Amino acid sequence: MTAIANPWRGLYWLCRRECHRVLKLWTQTTLAPIISSLLFIVVFGLSLGDRITSVDGFDYEVFILPGLIAMAMAQQSYSNNASTIYQGRSDRFIDDVLASPMHAWQMNFGYLVGGAFRALIIGGALAALAAPITGAPVEHPLLLILAVLMLVTGFGALGTVVGIYAESFDHTSFINNIVILPLTFLGGVFYSVDRLGTPWEAFSHANPLFYVVDAIRYGFLGTSDAGAAVSFGVLAAMSLALIAWSQYLFSSGRKLKP
Amino acid sequence: MPEHSDDGRHVPALEVRGLTKRYDDGTLALDDLELEVPQGSFFGLLGPNGAGKTTLISAVCNLIRVTEGELRVFGMPAHCLDARRQVGISEQEPNLDRFLSVRETLVYHGGYYGMERAEAERRADEMIDVFDLRAKRDVRAPKLSGGMRRRLLLARALLHEPRLVILDEPTAGVDIELRHELWRYIRRLHEQGTTILLTTHYLEEAEALCEEIALIGEGRIRARDTAEGLKRRYEADTLEQVYLKTVAGGRLREEAPA
Repeated sequence: MTAIANPWRGLYWLCRRECHRVLKLWTQTTLAPIISSLLFIVVFGLSLGDRITSVDGFDYEVFILPGLIAMAMAQQSYSNNASTIYQGRSDRFIDDVLASPMHAWQMNFGYLVGGAFRALIIGGALAALAAPITGAPVEHPLLLILAVLMLVTGFGALGTVVGIYAESFDHTSFINNIVILPLTFLGGVFYSVDRLGTPWEAFSHANPLFYVVDAIRYGFLGTSDAGAAVSFGVLAAMSLALIAWSQYLFSSGRKLKP
Repeated sequence: MPEHSDDGRHVPALEVRGLTKRYDDGTLALDDLELEVPQGSFFGLLGPNGAGKTTLISAVCNLIRVTEGELRVFGMPAHCLDARRQVGISEQEPNLDRFLSVRETLVYHGGYYGMERAEAERRADEMIDVFDLRAKRDVRAPKLSGGMRRRLLLARALLHEPRLVILDEPTAGVDIELRHELWRYIRRLHEQGTTILLTTHYLEEAEALCEEIALIGEGRIRARDTAEGLKRRYEADTLEQVYLKTVAGGRLREEAPA
C-alpha cells in the first residue's frame, strides 16, 4: 500500500459519509421537511388560494411554490451542516477528519456536499410533487439550477459556521428559528413585496433572504420583484461570503481546534 | 519522504522543537518543549493529569493550534499531508462516529486516509479479526461496550498502517485480559518496525513495554532515559519514585521516599 497521501480519496469518503448520514436518518432529514412543506402548499396555496386574487399574474399556489421550496432548501442545508458539525465536535469524532491527510478546503467542501445533498433531495421532491398539482412552470431552468446551487452551498456554509461556533445544540436551532425562518417569511414567500407600502417594502429589500426567494422565483416563474440581476448578485455575494467564512474556520482551525 | 537527514543520520519519527501551546483562556499547556522520538522505538510519555501529554499528542495530530515551535514527523512538517498519513492516533476518550457501524468506521477511516476502497475493506476485515470484533461488525459505536469501543479505537488507529502510532491512555478502564491482548498486538507491531508513542498512568506498564521514557511536567520534558537509567539517575528503586521526584505535584515530591 502506498504511504503517500491521496486527499481526493479522502474528500470522496467524507462526501460519502455526509450523504450516508442523511440517508440513514431519512425520516428526520428528508421525509419530515417534505411533509411540512407540502402542508404549507396545501394549507396556504390550495385552501386559501381561492380567496386570494392572483399575484404578479400567477395563481396564489403557483406564486408561493418557489418561495416555499427555497425556504425548505435553505433551512435544511443549514440544519444539516450545523448538526453534523456540532455532533462531530461534541462527540469529537470530527478529529478523525481533522487529523486525516485532507486539505482544509476539502473538509469544508465535503461537509457542504452533505447539506447540498439533503436540500436537493427535498427541493427535488417538493418540485416533483407540487409542481404538477399547482401547475407551476420552470421558465429559466439553467438560472434556477444556478440559484439553487448558490442557495444550498451558501446556507450549508452558514450551518458549518454555526456548527463550529455553537456551544450547545440549542444554538444551532436558535439561528434557524430566530433568524432564517422569520427572514424567509418576511422575504416575500407568501406575498409580493411590491404590494407592501413604505417603509415595509424598503425593509424587505434590506433582507438578504428576500433576494434568495426572488432568484428562485425568477428561475421558476420568470418574474422578479428586485430584478433578476440584482437578486442573483446578492445571492452570489452572500453565498461566497459564507463559504469564505466557513473556509477561514477550517483553514485557521479557529473554534474548531482548541 | 526523508529517511535520513543531510548528515546521514536516521531522521527521528517525531521531532519537537520549542513547542509552546497557550490556550485561549491563558493556560500554558506546553512551554518551549523539546523532544525527539527515534524511528522504530517504543517510547513512553509519562506525567500527571494536566502535564501536557494530550496537548502534545494533539499538536502532532493537527488537532490543536500550536502557539509556537516546530513539529516534524519523519522529517516532514507535521501539518503536511504526507506526514499526517504516517500517524495513527488512538485518543484517550472514545470518539467514534455515532452514525457508522464497526466495519464502516474502519472503512471510512481508511478512505479519509486515502486508501483505495478494496484495500480499506480488506484491512477493516483484518482489523475486525485481530481485535475480535467480528460479532459486532454491523453494530454502531454507541451500542458497543467500553472494551469494544477501546478495541475499535485501536483498530481505527492502525487501519491505515501508520509508521508512528500514538496511544493516549489506551488501557484506561480496560480489563486485564484485554489489556494483555492489546499489548501483545502492539508489541508485535513494534517488532515489525512501527514507532509507538505511549502515554499511560500505569507505570509498571510503561516500564515493561517502553525502551525509553520521557517524564513531562508543567509543559516541559523533565527527564528522559530508559527505565533503568532514570532509576539510577534519581537513585530510586522504582519508576514510581522517579515519577514522584520529577513530575508529581510539590506536596507529593516532598513526601516521596528517597
